[in-house]
Amino acid sequence: MVRNIVVLGGSSHPALTDTICEILGIQQGQALFSKFSVGETRVEIEESVRGKDVYIIQSGGGKVNDHFVELLIAISACKTASAKKVTAVLPLFPYSRQSDIPYNKTGAPLVKASNLSSKLVPDSNGYTFDSIPPTPHPDRGESHGLANGHGHLLHKAASRSQLDDVEQSPTHQARFSHYRDSSAHSSTKSAEYFPGPRRRGDSVTSTNGVPNGVPNGVPNGVTSHDFAAKLDPQENFKPRPGYRQWVAQAGTLVADLLTCAGADHIITMDLHDPQYQGFFDIPVDNLYGRPLLKKYIQQNIPDYKNGVVVSPDAGGAKRATAIADSLGIEFALIHKERRPTKITDRQNATMMLVGDVTGRIAILIDDLADTSNTITRAAKLLKKEGASKVYALVTHGVLSGDAIDRINASALDKVIVTNTVDQQDHRRRCPKLEVLEVGHIFAEAIRRVHYGESISVLFQYD
Amino acid sequence: MASNSIKLLTGNSHPDLAKAVAARLGIELTKIMVLQYSNQETSVTIGESVRDEDVFILQSTRPNDINDGLMELLIICNACKTASARRVTAILPNFPYARQDKKDKSRAPITAKLMANMLQTAGCNHIITMDLHASQIQGFFNVPVDNLYAEPNSVKWVRENLMHSTETNSEVNGPRQECVIVSPDAGGAKRATSIADKLDLPFALIHKERSRPNEVSRMTLVGNVEGKVAILVDDMADTCGTLAKAADTLIKHGAKDVVALVTHGILSGRAVEILKGSDLSRLVITNTVPVSEEKIEALRVEEGQKGCRLEFIDIAPVLAEAIRRTHNGESVSYLFNHPVA
Repeated sequence: MVRNIVVLGGSSHPALTDTICEILGIQQGQALFSKFSVGETRVEIEESVRGKDVYIIQSGGGKVNDHFVELLIAISACKTASAKKVTAVLPLFPYSRQSDIPYNKTGAPLVKASNLSSKLVPDSNGYTFDSIPPTPHPDRGESHGLANGHGHLLHKAASRSQLDDVEQSPTHQARFSHYRDSSAHSSTKSAEYFPGPRRRGDSVTSTNGVPNGVPNGVPNGVTSHDFAAKLDPQENFKPRPGYRQWVAQAGTLVADLLTCAGADHIITMDLHDPQYQGFFDIPVDNLYGRPLLKKYIQQNIPDYKNGVVVSPDAGGAKRATAIADSLGIEFALIHKERRPTKITDRQNATMMLVGDVTGRIAILIDDLADTSNTITRAAKLLKKEGASKVYALVTHGVLSGDAIDRINASALDKVIVTNTVDQQDHRRRCPKLEVLEVGHIFAEAIRRVHYGESISVLFQYD
Repeated sequence: MASNSIKLLTGNSHPDLAKAVAARLGIELTKIMVLQYSNQETSVTIGESVRDEDVFILQSTRPNDINDGLMELLIICNACKTASARRVTAILPNFPYARQDKKDKSRAPITAKLMANMLQTAGCNHIITMDLHASQIQGFFNVPVDNLYAEPNSVKWVRENLMHSTETNSEVNGPRQECVIVSPDAGGAKRATSIADKLDLPFALIHKERSRPNEVSRMTLVGNVEGKVAILVDDMADTCGTLAKAADTLIKHGAKDVVALVTHGILSGRAVEILKGSDLSRLVITNTVPVSEEKIEALRVEEGQKGCRLEFIDIAPVLAEAIRRTHNGESVSYLFNHPVA
């Protein structure tokens, strides 16, 4: 039983809050989280927090903005209600991947208009924007996913699978400021607003049957990463010629907002960028999901000693090698190689495996699976290279959009995620999914922070 | 080219208003792309340079999308600030969370104050808003806040549509009506008396007892409305429970007709149903908040039929003029007393 502590759970992940409170042996703090009929968030703290340590648990999945604003209001409410210390517990940190914008080697932002589409659909300005900016991602900026087959079978297959992905993704929301309307007339309106009959898929099929380059709608700059928020090409956005768009970096802002609301301490897990901690002027405890993943490998993967840990891209190599080293097993890496035929041709990338997986179990390690593009494509390649089984171990299973369908249809044999994001619905829809419990790690972290004990013990997982 | 021109940006909350304001200013909206990733995080890309420019960001509150709109606004503000804009002005025709402005019970959040802090953290140098629920919210900010009023335009509307006292409109739309200005609650009395004074009309007040938010219980009328057209004046029409009950009370006390004059027409929840079943003949709102086509359609009343007709007062010119004056360093207070259309 932990004393003088109030643990509040936001509406994002009530199950995790229950687990944490049970392990800590306390009653969950009484608070109301709901909405007024306008849509404004309503927070009422129903028990005294004066002089207490308050921990507010809110994850970053689902309706991210609603959950985040709810957290900010709750922090501010506790602060103004004389709480001694308010700690925000964010198992999945929202906006953690918008901390920086990707640059290519020449220093230009990678989030730029597709030169491909301007070739295919000549515009009056000769400049169109029909891919949406993928989430800025410094490490993996150079990768462009599987694309552009030059008669290579694998590439063709992969490109085709990408095309399928595009077709299968009606759920993605793309919202445009210039003309979006809530009314049912939005499509006609946008047609009026952007004359020129362009439909999804048109430009893909337009050149001699071979999908050359990234199919329409797949983010062009950084496809490797999972944010495949796809976009109707009709909704085009033309930056002023000669100007490279300014991409907002919400990461610093989110950190500032938490501090401004009154948070004194942050507890989170597997931050995408370790640098993120530096955006805060308050202590940030970044816990690791690695021990859980490692334990799972040891206990549940038969003959894991002969398996291979695979990083789905170069950015995650460090994360994957750490696990491979501590388990004493081999390591492989999927590399996206660029062989530019022209300097401007950035689509010309091939995906290749560095290392050997033939006849062995491949264990993919990543920190976050969102649309799960990365891991499903990696799985496909691994199976092709002769891997007997493909497991994917991911800390944060956001699994938004059509991720579940994609995983179900993919070559992945098992996907293991932790419940930093609520997984109940995902688990129901995906037989390949296994969920690891992180409640006890957060409970222990909260207990230690509360009693002023060392957290670093939690980092030593060997 | 002389730098420092007006750049008007907007998120997804109210594109029509933004377009109207831009048209009035004779400028184009700055190219910007605001969208959501599939994981529902907001992403903002600005399509032209704002370096050393005077940036205005217009963002209203679309019902049920308020937090998304808020995050869009904050991210755009922050993006402009980090893109070296000279000044970032947030235009919030309807200030979000304005009603959560006090600690009305223990441990209640003062969310309006949090909004103020967040806007400043994001990099706002100036705020332009309209008919704040409580003008004290201006004190939550350490940056200038221009609280505009829809009042001059509302007064003009009453003159032209109910009193016909302007030179051009006299006796055109029927005879001049005997009107009375009514405040539906004690909190709005100041706003209502101000309009009554300007129009030289009598004033009445309804006292209400509120048990829970978005719900109203009992109402008592102070003043005389018999045989007159009662004009209800309020800053916000949310679920419209207050307005409907007030209209009911006014008709019971012998009012000939009831018209509601409201700045922010949020019309959330069952507002449309409540309005349809009410004794209100007209609801006049400004376009600070987007109203969906379905709601407008549902409230359409054919000529000669009974029902609550929805009418709009366009306040885009007021916002445009405020932007122009702020940009040129002219006084904004002119707008407090003079209608702009």
